[in-house]
Amino acid sequence: MRKYTLKRILTSFLTLLAILFVLFLLMQLMPGSPFNDEKLSSDQRELLYAKYGLDQPVIVQFFRYAVNMLRGDLGVSYNISKNTPISQLIQTRLPISIGIGGAAVTIGAVIGLLLGLLAALKHDTIWDSLATIISVIGVSVPSYVFALALSYFFGFKLRWFPMLFSTKTLYASSVLPSISLSMFTMASIARFTRSEMLEVLGSDYMLLAESKGISGSALIFRHALRNALIPIITVLAPLVVDLMTGSLVVEKIFSIPGVGSLLVNAIQSNDYNVVIALSFIYSALYIGIMLVVDILYGVIDPRIRLAKEGD
Amino acid sequence: MKKMKAMLSITLAAAMTLGMCSVQVSAEESTGAVLNVMIETAVESLDPQQATDGTSFEVIADYTDGLMQMDADGAAVEALAESYEISDDGLTYTFHLREAYWSNGTQVTAADFVYAWQRAVDPDIASEYAYMLSDIGQIVNAEEIIAGEMDKSELGVTAVDDLTLEVQLNVPVSYFLSLMYFPTFYPVNQEFCESCGDTFGTSPDTVLSNGAFILTDYEPAATSFELVKNEDYWDADRISLGGLSYQVIQDSQQALMSYQVGDLDITLVNGDQVEQVEDDPEFESIGAGYLWYVSPNIDAVPELANLNIRMALTMAIDRESITADVLKDGSKATYTAVPMDFATGPDGSDYAEDQTRYSDVCTYDATLAAEYWQAGLEELGISELTLEMVVDADDAPQKVAAVLKEQWETTLPGLTVELVVEPKKQRVQDMQDGNFELGLTRWGPDYADPMTYLGMWVTGNSNNYGLWSNEEYDAIIAECTTGDLCTDAEGRWEALYDAEALVMQEAVIFPLYTQCNAQMVSSSVTGIEFHAVALNRVYKDTVKTVE
Amino acid sequence: MKLLKKKHPFTLHASAAGAYAAASASSSETASGGYVPVDSDFRLKDNAADIAIDTNFASQSFWKDVLTRFVHKKSAVVGLILILLITLLAIVGPGMNEYTYSGQNLSQKNLAPRIPILENLGIFDGTETMSTTSGSKVLNGYADNELDDVYYWFGSDIYGRDIWTRTWSGARVSLIIAVAAALIDMVIGMSYGLISGYFGGKTDMIMQRILEISNGIPRLVIVTLLLLILSPGMLTIIFALMLTEWIGMSRIARAEMLKLKEQEFVLASRTLGAGSFFIIFREVLPNIIGPIITQVMFSIPTAIFTEAFLSFVGLGIPVPQCSLGSLISDGFNSLTTHPYQIVPPLVVMALLMLSFNLVADGLREALDPKMKEM
Repeated sequence: MRKYTLKRILTSFLTLLAILFVLFLLMQLMPGSPFNDEKLSSDQRELLYAKYGLDQPVIVQFFRYAVNMLRGDLGVSYNISKNTPISQLIQTRLPISIGIGGAAVTIGAVIGLLLGLLAALKHDTIWDSLATIISVIGVSVPSYVFALALSYFFGFKLRWFPMLFSTKTLYASSVLPSISLSMFTMASIARFTRSEMLEVLGSDYMLLAESKGISGSALIFRHALRNALIPIITVLAPLVVDLMTGSLVVEKIFSIPGVGSLLVNAIQSNDYNVVIALSFIYSALYIGIMLVVDILYGVIDPRIRLAKEGD
Repeated sequence: MKKMKAMLSITLAAAMTLGMCSVQVSAEESTGAVLNVMIETAVESLDPQQATDGTSFEVIADYTDGLMQMDADGAAVEALAESYEISDDGLTYTFHLREAYWSNGTQVTAADFVYAWQRAVDPDIASEYAYMLSDIGQIVNAEEIIAGEMDKSELGVTAVDDLTLEVQLNVPVSYFLSLMYFPTFYPVNQEFCESCGDTFGTSPDTVLSNGAFILTDYEPAATSFELVKNEDYWDADRISLGGLSYQVIQDSQQALMSYQVGDLDITLVNGDQVEQVEDDPEFESIGAGYLWYVSPNIDAVPELANLNIRMALTMAIDRESITADVLKDGSKATYTAVPMDFATGPDGSDYAEDQTRYSDVCTYDATLAAEYWQAGLEELGISELTLEMVVDADDAPQKVAAVLKEQWETTLPGLTVELVVEPKKQRVQDMQDGNFELGLTRWGPDYADPMTYLGMWVTGNSNNYGLWSNEEYDAIIAECTTGDLCTDAEGRWEALYDAEALVMQEAVIFPLYTQCNAQMVSSSVTGIEFHAVALNRVYKDTVKTVE
Repeated sequence: MKLLKKKHPFTLHASAAGAYAAASASSSETASGGYVPVDSDFRLKDNAADIAIDTNFASQSFWKDVLTRFVHKKSAVVGLILILLITLLAIVGPGMNEYTYSGQNLSQKNLAPRIPILENLGIFDGTETMSTTSGSKVLNGYADNELDDVYYWFGSDIYGRDIWTRTWSGARVSLIIAVAAALIDMVIGMSYGLISGYFGGKTDMIMQRILEISNGIPRLVIVTLLLLILSPGMLTIIFALMLTEWIGMSRIARAEMLKLKEQEFVLASRTLGAGSFFIIFREVLPNIIGPIITQVMFSIPTAIFTEAFLSFVGLGIPVPQCSLGSLISDGFNSLTTHPYQIVPPLVVMALLMLSFNLVADGLREALDPKMKEM
């Protein structure tokens, strides 16, 4: 097991390095320059490129960046916030994004789980269809439409919650963004829970448990849900990461200083360092979570452990 | 299992409390009359020599004064300079500073200006607006320093004593004083700046104020930040506001709703929303200075090198319809190469006031356009033509482009226009590389003189996207920038009209409209000054009455 | 499994009947000279109905079985009908009135929906209530502009284009993009997953690392970059969607392959000298077609949705062409002024996503008989 874990950690690290390099290559393909194009003479642009070392070959830039990163230096922003170290730029934004993304996943997972359970237990009834419809409508209305509608009714008309995010009213102003963001998670979890539960409910050990006389909620919660939850958690983990970067639309509407809108702005304004840093953080989180899930999975389920060690 | 149950119940409880806490949102407390301002984009930089965008300029000017400031009409009046002298040849400016202090207690001296201006041209800083000192300001040696051929200490600006600043110019620059309110020319305290190192301008602790307000709450690229009144400002009695509170809102519908509930005192309104607000007395439209125009690639596209084709294209545009039916934000249809309301001539009138000046070559006339079109097609020996137009992926340009396409295709038989929508950075790059056929682009004035536009179309200028070249035009422009006409204000003005006429007759660009911003300003607020150049909004005379 | 079980008793039954017939035939021979049996003695008992069922089941192919199960699932049928209906309207809808999807008429912009006949009932008569900063006002663009004979069934947009025509041509574009993207990523993802799973070992390791790398980079970065580099258009969008969506498909294909490759029929095929690619595509592929089709059905709505997101970021289909996504994002800008503009594309998109999901669910259950027992 330890050997397997070590191997996984090592490959994850190499994968990250490869991702960093691919990101660098992608930045080279990006048309346009990070600086104020319209009003800049070509001499001035060369000067700026030289200042930031952008005139160097990619490979040189890559190694310099990789070395700096190991020292904790992610470079500076070129135009979103000129010359601001990216670590400074991110340090206040990442917690906000994680906070709102976390709240959204929590809300989405809880409601999705309930919907999925309902659908599975009342399979092929009107409840099943209703749960499916609710969860599909939840994803088919784009989150920006949903966000603005929420803001209109609960912010503008009823004035229950602030329309714009503010750190002064952190909790109240996080409610609407979290709910708008939770829709996708809710739908995915609902669908997944439903199919996992259906599978578990149909398995032989459920039949056994049932025939042993275990009944009602104990049967569902202790035996069925428990077994269905393991795969659900593996779906949930990457969703958390996705929400962090996928929240840009909601961030834009609620004026949230998060990382999603930062990433989009950076892509559109060619702020290479910010794109690379944010993408890399995303990748690291993603691969980190996958690694943890993988190893935990092995711990929980011996079949997987044995299969993987066999490789 | 127990754990799992506990976890479930906790998350459930969390979700419930989140959902249930219906906090009443009270409007921002208005004690001390804080003005709540909506901005569309975050501040890019608070370093006066590195900032390039309107929002950054506005905020920097909130807490920093330069030598001169803008009066309500945009003219330059004394700020930190108590008085100034201009030598007879117009090449030497001497500014006498008043007694003013930075917010850390040190006095503002001439050395602060020298340090700041040297930063602006320092190749190590690589300021994007360095050309304000060289090409535009014509300060001695600026160009050589930027190119790295000279040390920055050679810059033609010297601190004669603590309160006297002397500037040397290469040639007389008629609008030089108006440059002094441009943030690139604002002072920076050397000792403070160097103590901050790389973090200069990234937090309230790393900026110094000598202006009307002091920055109290700010983070890089923040979506909201605040300033309070500077009690030690040299002109503190003039300032009535207790502070400023900025909020970045990218979605215009959210902005209007926030305004309606009273969270904002001033907000921009999108063209689509004008119908909602046009009956409201708080609604107004303010000139933003930008000229939007279509640039044909005269050099690379043989069909567009044909003057008849270009004339047909420009005459087929119904500019009034674009501004009235599509933009609806008060933007003005423009038929001149220099837009309205930013440059005032020697006689005090607006340079572009007469919009019919070139009506023989630039107007809306569908029949005439069709005739030009036929003539052009015959000369080229073709019967149909497909042109591509690059457009920014933003809301307004896409709308305008959609209408342009429709107008062109209906008026000019055989023409197909394909729209290529790209993010702005890429569109600009494509145009600079000559990789376009038609380009919808805009230009904002950098200083209050028509030259900020006319300078673009000289041979070899990087913003002359169509690579149009005309010797006569180049000669007039040279005469006006560095030649004899520098000192002859009226003669120069007439020459500029001659140059503009050439651009229009040759249809080098198809001007569309001068951009205006539709906005709402609370009736409790008066005295916000709006300008098309340099500083878009100035709050020094703003009064907010609190009920 | 259930399918086999079900067939089983009948097969037994049939062979038992045969054995019985044979036995009785031999016994009749030994009893020669005695009672001569007549045909009527051997008439079948009351199991004629059972035999009929037997024949029926024997001829029931897998796909027919799937169809039967699918048809029995009401929600799936409803979904299928909706898809067909929307597809039909996407084909004929734009031609049902005199407007074109790109034709602008700025003097007839922002008109609320107006439908003949229904307008007499006081609904869809072109009247809209607009909330302004100084109260709300009731408008009727038709009456104000004296457009008596003008009807926009779904209203007109900010350029005076007909929303009915644009909604259906948008649905057409979205459907084409989604189906094409889903099919292409099925082919790519499936091949990738099957090959990776079949060969295993080093090949699998390398292929999975490549997959991990491309999955580790935020999709937004890849898609936006791609759309910046290639010229915008339907093909580019399809390509961009394909590039990010094939991963899910390849995972499923690989997992299925890992399950199947150790089975006897694969071994048998290999023993008979079949090449790797023959085994992958001719032996294994037909056995996993079920989960693959289900996944395609699920990835169509995802593609529609991703395209809508791209439109919002400004990287969608080039104007004046439209997709459901770009229509929603246009309508979004008028949500608080003219809310009726966003409704048709939003409803069509929601219905499409819903129906594809229902059909996918129905298919999954029909293809995977294990689930039928529930």
